Amino acid sequence: MANWTMASKRMLSEVMSAETWLPSEMPEYAQGFMYMLGSLTASSFVVLVISGVLLAMNGPDTWSYNSAMRFVAATHFWAVQAFFFFMMLHLWRVFFTGAWRGGRGATWLMGAIALIIAIPTAFTGFLINGDLYSQWNAVQAKDGLNALGLGWVNLTNAGQMFGMHVVVLPLVLTAVIGLHITRVRMKSVVPPYPDAKSDSAKGTVK
Amino acid sequence: MSVKVHDDVVKNYRMVPEDFVKHLLSTLGIVVVVVLLASILFNLPEKQPLTIKTYATQNPVAFEQMALRALDGQGQIANYGPPYNNGTASVQSPMQTAVGVIHPINAATDFILKPLTMAASINPSIAPALHAFNSASPAQQTKWENAYTTALNKGVYKNGVVVTQKGNYGPLPALMNDTLALGKSGLMSGALMRNGAVTTRFDNQNYLLFLQGAPLQNAPQTQSLAGANWGIIHPAVNGYPAAWWMTIPTWIYQWPFVANSSAPDATALAIGFVFWLALAFTPWIPGLNKLPRYLGVHRLIWKDFYRNHSGGNPPVVEGGKKHVS
Repeated sequence: MANWTMASKRMLSEVMSAETWLPSEMPEYAQGFMYMLGSLTASSFVVLVISGVLLAMNGPDTWSYNSAMRFVAATHFWAVQAFFFFMMLHLWRVFFTGAWRGGRGATWLMGAIALIIAIPTAFTGFLINGDLYSQWNAVQAKDGLNALGLGWVNLTNAGQMFGMHVVVLPLVLTAVIGLHITRVRMKSVVPPYPDAKSDSAKGTVK
Repeated sequence: MSVKVHDDVVKNYRMVPEDFVKHLLSTLGIVVVVVLLASILFNLPEKQPLTIKTYATQNPVAFEQMALRALDGQGQIANYGPPYNNGTASVQSPMQTAVGVIHPINAATDFILKPLTMAASINPSIAPALHAFNSASPAQQTKWENAYTTALNKGVYKNGVVVTQKGNYGPLPALMNDTLALGKSGLMSGALMRNGAVTTRFDNQNYLLFLQGAPLQNAPQTQSLAGANWGIIHPAVNGYPAAWWMTIPTWIYQWPFVANSSAPDATALAIGFVFWLALAFTPWIPGLNKLPRYLGVHRLIWKDFYRNHSGGNPPVVEGGKKHVS
């Protein structure tokens, strides 16, 4: 039986190496705005975490009576818009470039899981905001969860939603995004399709 | 030999110098600037919630009608079913029933009678009507409730109370006007969010569910947020973005067979999940995993690469090493 410690050591030394995380060269095809979209999504997530920590530190309803916290809440709101905006552009880019090729299926899957976790993460944030949008969506969306047998997730319980939004979902999302980015760094970004008109088609099909 | 088209990747590309830290700081800088600018220019969309106090003050007759539906068991929550009670009106699936009553609500007691009992301790004039109602037989209560439901259809608000034509309504006119007064006072929210075992008030379930029926659904400000109107993707404040990433599930809600189904929420979410499964497993779905190659958008994205590698021009290797994958 393989030595698990040795296998873990090998894997960790690759995952944690500076070479993996701080590449000093990139493939020639991975240049330009199209290759900033993933980083822009991750950067939006960083801004979300920072503004979210400030909101959590001060309390979820301080935005309603404190103008400084209202501004922080505004940055959190616009950061989530940026996050999904860049994520969607990134999704289109990776789809149109068939980014799952060359053994990158798990990277794609992790990205898809990040998307489906990001949705309730954002939604629970709207729910603890406490305005009309929050009130309306809590009572409307509860029927769907109740119908699916997920009644223990009580959208009308702001305490539970606070925990979901501030701890549970962001932790899971951070882990999934972390795995996604780790795989991107280790496998690099997908090379182009061989093109019939270019010499790159020669002898490149596995 | 089988050719795995979804795995076909070029291998003769160069590596070029890259300052990755600068790349990351640049993207972070872009997002910070965009977010700060948007926050300065547009601030935060905020639409005042519909409070019990506002609703009671602005719609006294409708408020009493809603309160009476909670009392007589005809309200949406009163007869909802799991996870709130054993009603049947909103049961969409066996899964919902299997979960059981885990957030118990007795609408008559929790929404009306308990708050009134608390109010009676500071306003004893409420007590006789409350006692008369509680000590009546269920059949008598139903008789009063039915008669008063009809009477309230023609109820008018006069001098701070709702007045109806005379009839045999027992203590209900007094009870409903007491409920209205409690609602208008702003104290009802405290009476609804009760948990005597703890001093915190994290759970606002009963506050939200008290108003979730006619009050919220008929409020002019929620009409653009209704499910049949593409719901959640619309903002409460015009001009702002909302959860536009929910467009696909919201679109599914508009499909006639979903909208008219007896379980629209379960159906729409289940179909939405199938869409996600198709996305998540695209790499392994024959046909779909080859689609991008035939769509040809990649030729635009890698325009420079293909131009540099067009027939007859072997890739230049200076400035970077040839990559071996």
